[in-house]
Amino acid sequence: MCAATTYTLPLGPLHVALEEPMYFDIRLEGETVRSVELTAGHVHRGMEALAMQRNYFQNITLTERVCSLCSNSHPATYCMAVENICGVPVPERARYLRVVADEVKRIASHLFNVGIMAHLTGFDSLFMHAMEVRELMQDAKEGVYGNRMNLGQCVIGGCRCDIGPEEAAFLRGQLELLKPRLDELYGVYERDPLIRARTRGIGLLPLEEARRHAVVGPVARASGVAYDVRRKAPYAAYPELDFEVQSDTGCDVHSRALLRLREAVESVKIILQCLDQMPAGPINTGDMPAIPAGEAVARSEAPRGELIYYLRSDGSDTPQRLKWRVPTYMNWEALQVMLQNCQVADIALIVNSIDPCISCTER
Amino acid sequence: MNEVARQAADRAVAQLLGPGAVAWTTDACGNAFGWARLCSPASLAALAPLLAGAGARLMTVTAYRKDKFARLEGREISYHFDLDGVVLTVAVCLPEGPPRVPSITPWFQNADWNEREFAELYGIELEGHPNMRRLFVDPALDGGVLDRLVPLSAMMNGASTTTLWEKVFAGRELPAWAKAEAKGEPN
Repeated sequence: MCAATTYTLPLGPLHVALEEPMYFDIRLEGETVRSVELTAGHVHRGMEALAMQRNYFQNITLTERVCSLCSNSHPATYCMAVENICGVPVPERARYLRVVADEVKRIASHLFNVGIMAHLTGFDSLFMHAMEVRELMQDAKEGVYGNRMNLGQCVIGGCRCDIGPEEAAFLRGQLELLKPRLDELYGVYERDPLIRARTRGIGLLPLEEARRHAVVGPVARASGVAYDVRRKAPYAAYPELDFEVQSDTGCDVHSRALLRLREAVESVKIILQCLDQMPAGPINTGDMPAIPAGEAVARSEAPRGELIYYLRSDGSDTPQRLKWRVPTYMNWEALQVMLQNCQVADIALIVNSIDPCISCTER
Repeated sequence: MNEVARQAADRAVAQLLGPGAVAWTTDACGNAFGWARLCSPASLAALAPLLAGAGARLMTVTAYRKDKFARLEGREISYHFDLDGVVLTVAVCLPEGPPRVPSITPWFQNADWNEREFAELYGIELEGHPNMRRLFVDPALDGGVLDRLVPLSAMMNGASTTTLWEKVFAGRELPAWAKAEAKGEPN
């Protein structure tokens, strides 16, 4: 065998193992990655410029279309920012309804990510199984909200769609079906020799590196940073709900996947608590409130981690500035640590382990 | 609210600006939001190490014009920090021509992308940034697109062709602006 040579491997922006376009310039020594350079911008749509030219109501629709997998987190956090500026209290019932929508989306998003991980390891029957389990949540979304991806649930001052006894019974039924299947999936992901061989000990992000890059969400929590906005800065009905913030010290691809599955289990508990505790009453405040001049920040825990919206109002009907920063934005640069010294064959698995959302990142 | 974190934020800002420099608000769930203002970009380089020492995490950075349609001069940048659940927003006023601000990457590594983004969208210059290449916008495109008024109609008509207007005004004289647009002249 000849001596190892150093060369550059271009990966992306369109590549079978990447779901969205990102370009990596990877310097290799033989099969080993030595350094990574990222080039972004392939789906930059100038959405923040658009948001400044649409009125507050239209921006609910715009923000829901930033991303598909966390599409409820965006309008929900945007509405929270507007409500913070106006000081509009959201009705009690709507606070619970917002949690239900967020957690249903979280389960579907996490199952999608772990499913893709199975596909990238070559375990396609597990991929299809995870996607079939996810279908329970897709049907729940369709049954309750009428849509399988964009729920259109949030409005300024509350929610659009109530969950009546019939929808609640249907949602409970789906969750009861989901519980044993999630447990079964967890067992497979935890113990299957192929999954373990391909995902344990790769894509390492030690605690100090996680802090240095200020990563968020499951990526941070699997590296020991137990930060969850739902607990650290609670919003909606989370202060009244009982759930455990998941964290791990595995720091690798495997621990991130298991952590997402455990979070999905917690989400099931959260939704069931909401269905039990939700008080009767109005689900929104009715009319659009007047938006005074001012500024506000709102945060939420999207499936991929902390999502922040900053809104500045000059008192007109369109925002003076609307800025949002999505969780994946924080996690890209940490890939330089995770990919260091990995094998070419593991690149796609490691990239997938941050659950990247590029259309979110670039807006 | 995390009272310990709130006091840590207060102390860090007070070391530079004196006590009471942070105004605090709360949301419906009682979460604390601090608001501080720096009148010179140079003081940002003094505040950043104090905040880093207090355990702050940079969440994001927002650049904006005081008048979003650029009819009046004046730009600001808001830096949003988190201290264990408490949000601190520090607004920095920028000087005119050219707007410049020191990079805070020596204390907050994740400022890298945020700073590159506002540099390319608002044409703001950075001092001491380690890697100033474009982040999202292709180098072939003009910088600072969010720093000037681009009317929505112009933004949305970007891809329209003369053929479109010829169809719209079929059988009639093309208006002067449509002719100018066809020649690629500003109207």
